[in-house]
Amino acid sequence: MDNPKLSVIVPFYNEEDSIEPMYAAIVRAVEPLNIPFEMVFVDDGSRDSTALRGEEIARRDARVRIVKFRRNYGQTAAMAAGIEYATGETLVTMDGDLQNDPADIELFLAKMAEGHDLVVGWRHKRQDKLLSRKIPSMIANRLIGKVTGVRITDNGCSLKAFRASLIKGIPLYSEMHRFIPAMASIAGPRIAEIKVRHHARQFGQSKYGLSRVYKVLLDLMVIKTVASFTSRPLLWFSLLCLPLTLVGLLALVAGLLATLTAGGRMSLPLTGTGIIFLMAGVTLMASGTLGELVYKLGDVRPEDFARLTMKAAGESPPKPAYPTGESPQ
Amino acid sequence: MTPNSAVTPASTAAPAAAATRVSVIVPVGGRQTPAAELYSEYKAGLESLDVPYELIFVLDGPQPKYEAALSQLTAQAEPITVVSLTRYFGEATALMIGFEHASGDVIVTLPAYLQVEGREIAKLVAALGSADIAVGCREPRASSWFQTLRRRAFHGLLRFVTGLHFRDLGCTVRALRRQILEEIRLYGDQERFLPVLAERHGFRVTEVAVRQSKYDRRQEAYPARSYTRGFLDIFSVFFLVRFTKRPLRFFGMIGVATLSVGVLELLYLVFDRLYFRIPLADRPALLLASLLIVLGVQIFALGLLGELIIFTHAGGSKDYQVDRVIHYPGAVPAAIPAAGISETAARLQNPQNTFNVALPPQLPTAKLTT
Repeated sequence: MDNPKLSVIVPFYNEEDSIEPMYAAIVRAVEPLNIPFEMVFVDDGSRDSTALRGEEIARRDARVRIVKFRRNYGQTAAMAAGIEYATGETLVTMDGDLQNDPADIELFLAKMAEGHDLVVGWRHKRQDKLLSRKIPSMIANRLIGKVTGVRITDNGCSLKAFRASLIKGIPLYSEMHRFIPAMASIAGPRIAEIKVRHHARQFGQSKYGLSRVYKVLLDLMVIKTVASFTSRPLLWFSLLCLPLTLVGLLALVAGLLATLTAGGRMSLPLTGTGIIFLMAGVTLMASGTLGELVYKLGDVRPEDFARLTMKAAGESPPKPAYPTGESPQ
Repeated sequence: MTPNSAVTPASTAAPAAAATRVSVIVPVGGRQTPAAELYSEYKAGLESLDVPYELIFVLDGPQPKYEAALSQLTAQAEPITVVSLTRYFGEATALMIGFEHASGDVIVTLPAYLQVEGREIAKLVAALGSADIAVGCREPRASSWFQTLRRRAFHGLLRFVTGLHFRDLGCTVRALRRQILEEIRLYGDQERFLPVLAERHGFRVTEVAVRQSKYDRRQEAYPARSYTRGFLDIFSVFFLVRFTKRPLRFFGMIGVATLSVGVLELLYLVFDRLYFRIPLADRPALLLASLLIVLGVQIFALGLLGELIIFTHAGGSKDYQVDRVIHYPGAVPAAIPAAGISETAARLQNPQNTFNVALPPQLPTAKLTT
């Protein structure tokens, strides 16, 4: 089989009831578009019969590839594996719980055809609990937008489309799947956002809780750090140590003044505080330098990211995956 | 077309199948039984497997007497390989060196002293039919109440930290598939935790009760430093298992906690200054507060540095282990039956569920609601 134009990537974790309807829905949605496509289903170490049912589907349909994990590694790993094993030019990721609608894929392809590198879904009529799901994610989205500069209404929507050459060059690890657009922003992609349908859960249990908040905040820090290192390595640590140095200087000056007014008796707490903060500033700066060293020795090069999205002069935007010669019309 | 498979399928219900070869690795470091006695006991157990086997003795540091005894055995054409290290490297390293010389599909690790009876080896190898690593667990176990307590505390702590329940990690009698050691690089004192690491790599781990040997039932006094070492080992495994891929989760937790304590104390001091007019210059607690704040920020920065290392090396280390990829290139897609499958499609027919998204006019939109 030649490389398909489109790969639909769906991670499944304990979704034995969903995998078959999901497969059928994808086929029904994509087959009429008349483009060669494949489906990559990632079984994230399910304990139920998800893998068995997936294998049944694969046996029937060569367009289906099942990537079976040894154990549960989480959604980011599942997405990353799906991306690794997909062979299409455009990759579409979606949740395996039927909350996303494969019929939306067409809209994503249309947006991609306009020359976008990354199209993000927005569950604008989200069918979830308000207090435990919608409000935290609203705050998180605002925060992510502020910190990373990628203002997307709904980072948590799994339904996204990527140009394969872009996303395959972006490292995804830990629990980054919520931040794929932010992470991809290292490469400066052309991002578009479209409204998608969102259905209430039909089968199985929701797998998230409120405990994500703390992790989201930390991950955000991580992204900010690595992203800023790709442009100005030392800047981020300099920013961190600036307040420390300032406080240190202030305390030192206050301490010296206090010493003078007290007639030569040195104020230990104030001067001490000043010295501690100043030293911390210096150590932090040293950490930043160490970071630069790590970065230099690592296998990540900023120009690799630039290359993912750049256009040579006079060249049209990256080859659209659809519609090409064989337009469905 | 069969799916390509990364893991040897667990079809060897009877591991005595002709193809299997067993490589036994015996790291010889500290406690030891005389070579001839040890070998005859292990040999009896291995013979009962009825498969070709080899033994690899790794002498961890110079042990001329043991080496001489082993060369006597090799002279009798016994299937023994001896690897001598010039200094003591530790059991994990010895194990990895031994593995380099092993050719079998099944690896059995055995201690250099008789921990269990030789014939119990067959049980472990047989257990590989439904697992990737079989861990020996001495049962019934002869030990003093103090040793039992110590063991319980160790395994309880490990369980608390990793969520995995093992009963006897001190028993290094184990049988495992070759693939495990190909994937997991052991170092330091990690050989004890091989089952924990294997489980984290997605391998199936099982515990098998084995009979303790007479020799092992004699009590051995543990030096006090082995307690601190055990504790440190657990800590390193904890870090390895939980945080190697996300250093900021670990450092961030400690850093934020330290920082918060410092900030609270500072706020208290400032409050005192503003309302009770106690000059900050007279408060030595100010030093502590600022120390905590600074420490917190620095620990946090260490976490960020760790994340940077992960990020710049993420290409080399994968976050996941794929069991297999199932793909039948020859399969012809059957038509999807129209009825009874797609609730999604049915919902799409309902106008209430669809809405319009602005689309560029030149693109086909007609397919959406058909």
